[in-house]
Amino acid sequence: MEEQNKEQNNEQQKHIAEHHKKEEQKEQKKSLKQKLFHIYDKKYKMLLIFPFLMLVLALGQIGYQVYKTGDFIKRDVSLKGGVTVTIPVDKAVDITQLENLIKSKFPNNDIAVRTLGSAGTNAGVIVEADIDGNNKDEVQNLLSAIESSLGINLSKVNYGIEIIGSSLGASFFRASLRALVVAFLLMGLVVMIYFRTFVPSIAVIVAGFSDMVVSLAVVNMLGIRVGTAGIAAFLMLIGYSVDTDILLTVRVLKRREGTVMDRIISSIKTGMTETMTAMVAVVVAMLVTQSEVIRQIMIILLIGLFADILNTWIQNVGILRIYIEKQAKKGIII
Amino acid sequence: MNHKLKKLATNWRIIILAVFILMSLIALHPTLNNGVAIRSVLTNSSASIAGIPQPDPSVQPVSRERILSINNVPIADTKSYYKYISSLRVNKTIQIKTSKKVYTLTTKEKFETIELNETEEKIVNEIVQSNKTINGTTQLINETITKKIIVPKTQQISKGLEDLGLGVYDAPSTNIRKGLDLQGGTRVLLQPETKLNSLDINVLIDNMKERLNVYGLSDLVVLESDDLPPPFGTGNQYIVVEIAGATEDEVKDLLAKQGKFEAKIGNETVFRGGHDILYVGRSSQDSRIEGCNPTGNQLACRFSFAITLSQEAAQKQADATKNSTVIYDPSTSRSDYLSDKIEFYLDDKKVDELNIGADLKGQAVTQIAISGSGVGANQQDAVVNANLNMKRLQTILITGSLPVKLSILKTDAISPVLGEGFVNNSILMSLLAILAVAIVVGIRYRKLLIAIPILITMLSEVIILLGVAALIKWNIDLAAIAGILVAIGTGVDDQIVITDETLKADSSGAYGWKDKVKRAFLIIMLAYLTVVAAMFPLIFAGAGLLKGFAITTIIGVTIGVFITRPAYSAFVEVMLK
Repeated sequence: MEEQNKEQNNEQQKHIAEHHKKEEQKEQKKSLKQKLFHIYDKKYKMLLIFPFLMLVLALGQIGYQVYKTGDFIKRDVSLKGGVTVTIPVDKAVDITQLENLIKSKFPNNDIAVRTLGSAGTNAGVIVEADIDGNNKDEVQNLLSAIESSLGINLSKVNYGIEIIGSSLGASFFRASLRALVVAFLLMGLVVMIYFRTFVPSIAVIVAGFSDMVVSLAVVNMLGIRVGTAGIAAFLMLIGYSVDTDILLTVRVLKRREGTVMDRIISSIKTGMTETMTAMVAVVVAMLVTQSEVIRQIMIILLIGLFADILNTWIQNVGILRIYIEKQAKKGIII
Repeated sequence: MNHKLKKLATNWRIIILAVFILMSLIALHPTLNNGVAIRSVLTNSSASIAGIPQPDPSVQPVSRERILSINNVPIADTKSYYKYISSLRVNKTIQIKTSKKVYTLTTKEKFETIELNETEEKIVNEIVQSNKTINGTTQLINETITKKIIVPKTQQISKGLEDLGLGVYDAPSTNIRKGLDLQGGTRVLLQPETKLNSLDINVLIDNMKERLNVYGLSDLVVLESDDLPPPFGTGNQYIVVEIAGATEDEVKDLLAKQGKFEAKIGNETVFRGGHDILYVGRSSQDSRIEGCNPTGNQLACRFSFAITLSQEAAQKQADATKNSTVIYDPSTSRSDYLSDKIEFYLDDKKVDELNIGADLKGQAVTQIAISGSGVGANQQDAVVNANLNMKRLQTILITGSLPVKLSILKTDAISPVLGEGFVNNSILMSLLAILAVAIVVGIRYRKLLIAIPILITMLSEVIILLGVAALIKWNIDLAAIAGILVAIGTGVDDQIVITDETLKADSSGAYGWKDKVKRAFLIIMLAYLTVVAAMFPLIFAGAGLLKGFAITTIIGVTIGVFITRPAYSAFVEVMLK
């Protein structure tokens, strides 16, 4: 009986010791969290280096792209002019081999081959070539190159073909860029009118701008060819990215409960939930869709959403807090 | 709980949402329609002769005429339709039962006429109209002349059954209008070579529509789509033509034609369609089918209608005929006509020629008759064709030629095979994305009472958005699906804001529910305005290629902010207060 009791006692002590250990570990973890919080809370000016470094690097990438290719973006045929052929194929196709085969017949053209399909299934192949779509012979050459490379008879399958004249591609590109700039300015105007204070509004606009520039640079680095759908994605990004910035700015400037830091933390909770839901939806759509148009929109959005985390919660927060500090020196407490 | 449910059911914001969902469902009209819907009826085919009407594009998809059975064999889908059609024989009577009535068709044989290396002599009676001046006024005179002509011998070879002339597609189960990339078809982007004013462009669009309709293509969209003028846009002018279920070649062929009508004497253009023509007779007195004559194994019916020329054009005609010689026809021993003929050209292709009465030499006549013909296997077909050709010519003469030449900038031919996969895939994608969002929300709040309403709100937004699209006859294409996703995405963001604002522990207790909701809506309205501001320029840019995306997004977020968001906040207020 006593033996047993002793054993039990020992067991209990062990338990207690383990418990203490866990508590200690927890405390250590907590202190790490606290350390991070401390850095986030106090060193916000220093942290600003990261988003701005990211912005500068992105601008550098875009500058390099312009220097190398004369264009700040890699345009696909919908913005450059050319021919897109969509062929439904249900068997597996070696894309690189197909691309090389077609390239060997069109050495002077930009040829891109992609699969159409989702999650392992193959619905078809898309071939893009920046050849002159109004030149019937060249289009025919492309079609026969595809036929021989794929080993199929195109007249027997229901293929789709899209032809865009090169002047039109260029004009679409200009029109889309203008739309992008106008959209951005209108967004800025709405924000300015709403907040009626210069620095916080500019902070929101700069965050939106950084999201777009960083996403553009990443898109360039990944070698993604951007089409009209991509332009739409960048526009969507304006909407999504300023959502969190607006949330933050409204909570910090127009609320009175708690400290500024409390309001920022509550904004992060709400904002990160927003970002997470958007991210899962985007990833699911990206994996499931068969449409190249939608996939491109989703990839660009995903990149933008990642960039937005840094740009909202470090860049925008940092600028906002500097502004509040300056106001406090003037005797205005926010 | 009961008390809360009652409160929910009587909350006006929730009632409004319920009403909108109900109206959307009515607009969408989901049905289990069987059979195949009729997309097009080819003129002069067995189907059109049996009286099957060309479908009206403004009719909602679910209400379109559907083929239910042929000879009492039920037709379930396009596959079974084509399978049954391929078993048909020539010259048999078949009964097609549609959702509207029963039609009796006679199948036709398809012939190919080949010319042999021999000639034969034929004697034909021909009615010729000529313009003559009697007592100083110009009149139209019909004359019957008998002519001996030498024609090449022809032989007709049967090519089996002629197509019934029906274009069909699987019966739609809702009123959602699928865009071109979801159902297959052709989209052509055109640009006028010179910039047109709004009046001219409307004439151009009407003219194009009429022409395409004449060829039995009715499921079509022709619209102007311009960029904003500089500095906001490039100021380019575009015309978009979308035709469901038509091949690229058909459309290109029709659109490339300018519809330029010219009347020439010798090499001199006497008058042009649109410019020089003051009046085109279209009443039964001014226009008619003249009579029919056999040509080969077919019948040709002639039509004629009167037009009034401008004085200037009449003078040109007089100048052109001044030096013509009167020819003597030994077979009739008369000298009725001038050596020069007046020739009509449509898009630089000669479509007809008329003799010019000898007494018109050097005369400035403003009243003249235009004639042409239509060919068919029997009298009925020939008359129908003659009428068709006459109408087409009249259209061209009235509206003039297309005011400018159009250049084709972009053609998309989308195969329906790809389209079908896209639809199912897009539905799957949207549902999975919505589910994924609901799961994330569920994990974050650990409350079904929040996750489920957010899920319901997302789904009801999709339903209302599709309902509105069906109501305003808006086509749902891939860009629009992307737009729906954005709208739902920002919608979820807003729901999260509402949830956090209202659930937030409020230490001071200074804010009531109303204030909290109001504060949430301050953030939501601003986010809404920025999305609208960002999408707005896209409506007017780049030939409207992303217009569908922009408009769907704007409609979607608007529905969200004014209908579903208030309902959600009402729900949260009642259930979680």
